[in-house]
Amino acid sequence: MKTSLRRGLRHILLFPVTVVYVFPLLWMVMTSVKTNQEIMYSSFALPRQIHWQNYVEAWKTANMRTYFMNSIVVTVVSIVLTIFISSLISFVLAKFRFRFRNILYSLFIIGMLIPLQSILVPLFIQMRFLGLLDSLWSLVLSYTAFGLPMAIFILESFMRVFPDEVLEAGILDGCSPLRIFLQIVLPMSRPAIASVTILSFLNNWKEFAFALIFISEETKKTLPLGLYNFLGTETNNYAGLMAALIIASLPVLVMYVFLQEQVIKGMTAGAVKG
Amino acid sequence: MELFRRNRTFILLGSLPALVLYVLFVIYPIFRSFVYGFYEWNGLSEPTYVGLKNFQEILHDPVFWNSFRNNLLIVGVSIFGQIPIGLVLAVMLSRKFPGSGTYRSIFFIPMVLSTVVVALLWSSLLNPQVGVVNQFLKQIGLGVLAMNWLGDMRTAMAVVCGVIIWQFSGLYMVIFLAAIQNIPKEIYEACSLDGVSERAKLLHVTLPLLWPTVMASVVLCIAGSMRSFDLVYVMTEGGPAHATELMATYMYNKTFAVYKYGYGSAVAMVIFLLSFGMILAGQILMKRKQDTV
Repeated sequence: MKTSLRRGLRHILLFPVTVVYVFPLLWMVMTSVKTNQEIMYSSFALPRQIHWQNYVEAWKTANMRTYFMNSIVVTVVSIVLTIFISSLISFVLAKFRFRFRNILYSLFIIGMLIPLQSILVPLFIQMRFLGLLDSLWSLVLSYTAFGLPMAIFILESFMRVFPDEVLEAGILDGCSPLRIFLQIVLPMSRPAIASVTILSFLNNWKEFAFALIFISEETKKTLPLGLYNFLGTETNNYAGLMAALIIASLPVLVMYVFLQEQVIKGMTAGAVKG
Repeated sequence: MELFRRNRTFILLGSLPALVLYVLFVIYPIFRSFVYGFYEWNGLSEPTYVGLKNFQEILHDPVFWNSFRNNLLIVGVSIFGQIPIGLVLAVMLSRKFPGSGTYRSIFFIPMVLSTVVVALLWSSLLNPQVGVVNQFLKQIGLGVLAMNWLGDMRTAMAVVCGVIIWQFSGLYMVIFLAAIQNIPKEIYEACSLDGVSERAKLLHVTLPLLWPTVMASVVLCIAGSMRSFDLVYVMTEGGPAHATELMATYMYNKTFAVYKYGYGSAVAMVIFLLSFGMILAGQILMKRKQDTV
């Protein structure tokens, strides 16, 4: 009796919180399939018929297709670069002996504490000097550079505990360090690489501040930046905006649905260490 | 093996790509930022050295202090909003029951969305023409409370704080859930054998053991709040009349709207020092508290 009472109480307490979380998301979905006239008439009412047209228009006329492709290119290239570069140096840091090893390691780890804002201005000047403004490279390079500390932190601690015997087997076979790295170390690091991939994917897909200062050309904008300008060009097209928000969030939401445990674990670890 | 471990060529070639990229786009800009702070520069003409002038100007600008106050407000709201909410949710969801996993998944969703998406969604919900908030108030007879939430100086900052709580409480819930799961089961079993009530278990076992995690979360709140930019920039751009200005939006406006690069770099440095100072202060304060407990 007492436990069922407690159980009921738990749901009564959780229900209002759930409404506060679910309602905005449901409203976004509902509004994305209404017409703008319907929204003006009532923002609560259900759509009279499902108006998929908003998605088509957002995708085509509001340039969402361009932003989406740019986001994919930037995210994928940065992830590949981050993974390759950081696992290489993590292998060096984890298994090799040299004089500046600890300094090198600390240099990267300190990077996790640097607030992005404190280098926004000089990085803008740097990119302008390199002629990379309005180029997707400005985003790829800064996302990769900023992703390194976290990636190295995760990968190095993972590789450090590899037993030396595994490497010795490779050495006895006469493999070069690069081959040992490519054929033994990388495949063994798959779980850590997966975490780094998930984290970088989320961070890069969501990033706004760098895109805002580096990119002004319409054809080079990524999703967050494109969304930010959406109402500027499509005045009062709230139905279209909601469709655009959903299009932009679909990849991360799909990943969240399928890899929920890894996403939560990765982001929690990332937050606590960062 | 020893020979392998000291393979200089591989050590060099293996570290080089990461090091070059990192120095070029993280370390070097930080040092440049320190240098630019002492210059007056519009980004085009030759920079002129002005000593501490930028810093004096910052410290005398009421808009900057207002933005610093807003940052502190967000720190406070995060510590006293997100952490308690996260803690309560975590305690409620720590025991598996039908639906507990679903609740957890739902409360974490805002964390995977881009802050720009969150900002635009809430701006629309609160929009006086199309938003549901005003319409809801009218429908329940509280139409007098309907207003232009983000356009009104009195409410804009409160709204921003509310959205921040909505966005991040799920993160703290998950952090606390993980910490609760790390508490050894034996402790609870011993309690049950001794006939300790559920409430006593919570107050005398769970919460004290969670304290270090709470402390870590406070530091996380401070660090996160000092750097917030995206949400406010998208929702209000620091307005109306600087009501929601944060240090980061202040820096952005000074640099990219009025082209004062030197001044902007000086602001960046001040943000850097203030957030490090606060994180440090927070950690020292909490260490002392922990010693006395």
